Amino acid sequence: MSALALLGAYGTLFVGGYGLLALLVRQKIQFSLTEQIAFSWLLGTGAVSLLLWIFGLFVHGMLLPGLVSIICLSLGLVGWRQMVPRPLRRTPNPFEIFLGTIIVIEIAIVFYLSFVHTLGWDGLLNWEIKARYAFANGGVIPATYFSDSGRAFSHPEYPLAIPFTELWLYLWLGEADQFCAKTIFPIFYVIGTFLVVAIGRRFTGKTWIGLVMAAFLFFVPQITVEVGSAIGGYADFPLSIFYLATIGCLLCATEPKNDAFFGLYAACLALLPWVKRDGLILWIVAAACGVFVILRTKRSSRHFLALFPGLLIICGWRFYLSAMHAPQAADFLPMNLETFSSHLDRILPLFSALLTEFHNLPTWSLFWFVVAVGVAYLLGQMRNPGTPILLTALFLPIVLYLLIYVFSSWPNYLEHVGLSISRLLLHVAPVGFLITLLAVSRRRVKSPAPVHERGVTCTIAVSERTPMVELA
Amino acid sequence: MTVRFSYGRIAHVLLWGGLAVASLLVSIPRIYSGVTDHPLHSTSPLHTCDSYLKFATGVSGASKDMISIFQSMSASKRIIIFTCKDDAFSSGLGMTTAYLAAPHLVRLFEISGTHPDNELSKMNPDEVAAVVFCRVNRPHWLPAGKVFGSGLEVVSIREKARR
Repeated sequence: MSALALLGAYGTLFVGGYGLLALLVRQKIQFSLTEQIAFSWLLGTGAVSLLLWIFGLFVHGMLLPGLVSIICLSLGLVGWRQMVPRPLRRTPNPFEIFLGTIIVIEIAIVFYLSFVHTLGWDGLLNWEIKARYAFANGGVIPATYFSDSGRAFSHPEYPLAIPFTELWLYLWLGEADQFCAKTIFPIFYVIGTFLVVAIGRRFTGKTWIGLVMAAFLFFVPQITVEVGSAIGGYADFPLSIFYLATIGCLLCATEPKNDAFFGLYAACLALLPWVKRDGLILWIVAAACGVFVILRTKRSSRHFLALFPGLLIICGWRFYLSAMHAPQAADFLPMNLETFSSHLDRILPLFSALLTEFHNLPTWSLFWFVVAVGVAYLLGQMRNPGTPILLTALFLPIVLYLLIYVFSSWPNYLEHVGLSISRLLLHVAPVGFLITLLAVSRRRVKSPAPVHERGVTCTIAVSERTPMVELA
Repeated sequence: MTVRFSYGRIAHVLLWGGLAVASLLVSIPRIYSGVTDHPLHSTSPLHTCDSYLKFATGVSGASKDMISIFQSMSASKRIIIFTCKDDAFSSGLGMTTAYLAAPHLVRLFEISGTHPDNELSKMNPDEVAAVVFCRVNRPHWLPAGKVFGSGLEVVSIREKARR
């Protein structure tokens, strides 16, 4: 019965996301199956959690999941008629089959790890707690939760994408189940591998490079086994996957007139601040990159509307918190120039702590060293519009995160850094994989290799070919 | 040209191949220990809370009992939770208790010692449904409550419990 309920929950979520994907793409481009699954999941989790929150302002009880389910199914029906058929599949070569097998084994291990570990501390007390309380209150977080100073430790001000995706499972299951809630997080890992493979193929025209990179996701301990990884119920890994999708779509949208990807970029961008509060910084960075692309590709000014959904979510959530009298976060001092100038002496120790984290081998293995080599490769391709976007998307969040600690209210701000910096770096780690992917493929893409599949190549990394997108 | 190109390609392959192998050599022991360290625990709906409580108190399946105790009390009254400052176990127990105490409002007190007499004496018992002691000693004048293993005690506050 539980399995059927889970199937129903995930089914409606995917169907709703698929419908949104189809509406955004509007038959302009073909997507591979992996891309369809990945974007359906991301858009589905975003849409379902937003719908639960918004409709929860007006209804509760059985009506709430019923209403959201109907919308998801309606979106799916509309999407079914809109979506372009997938491109013809080609037969994978033995090396791709080998890599694919490794990835399947890795995914199985991530699911296993997720099941044998409990939810992490934040996973339970910052995120799942909201889903449980909302479930017990007919799908709506009780107003007393926001004003209860005794539960301020659970950060009532955190956004609801992850808790309300868990809530969606609970509503289908008919009970709050911490074990079933954990199934969400390995799915984000699966989506991450799908996106790396898909984006890799679009950038390079080669499937195997994306497969190699996706296989290496598993070997970054911070992604698979460390605190805040893909198995502990934290929002950091899902946020990193949303950020990967946002930046990946934006890179594909650097091709003129590729509005399908620009629409997807706008959708993923809007969801960043809805996944985690830190997503606001990623939203600022990705929005700045989007403005750069709009100006660089001379798109019409209506494309600036892409920033609007995200702004709406940010302001809507702020307004809601204020109406609920939610307490302000106590981890940071007021962010103003006065505080900044009086804590400037923190910058060097913070920078030192960051460097220490970069070569923390038990947490990151050689990941950041590999990314540094990749960055060195890309520096030679600065004229390519994708390169400054990628470098900005990698470095600017790190700088901003570091600056945030200048405002830390903890007595020992370096302890604050030590507890959270690895999880913040995780947000940009998948972008590091994109950089590595482009660096590894550099030699390959210079050769005028024929593209095997129509409609799946976005040759952003090609330094000696005219950037183009092969539309269906 | 062809030779130079080939050398470049060989260097490229060697560099990235070397980085890949080195990454694997560093990562695999850490990943392996992460995979093999944890056997499958229970799959119950409260398995994370149960694990925390078992870790901190030694009692299995305590979450359900705690929820039952809190649900038997008037939801309009607060749960008061005492934790010990600079004691991570105590703090963790306190937050897990607060998690399980819904829909009651909760109030967490972090005290410096292990005797909360001062704080308790200032409270109005009419507004309190229960007092929970997380690795904090219960005052002798307060009647004994339900004890969960070592370090966790839930005391229901009734009229007769007034000092």
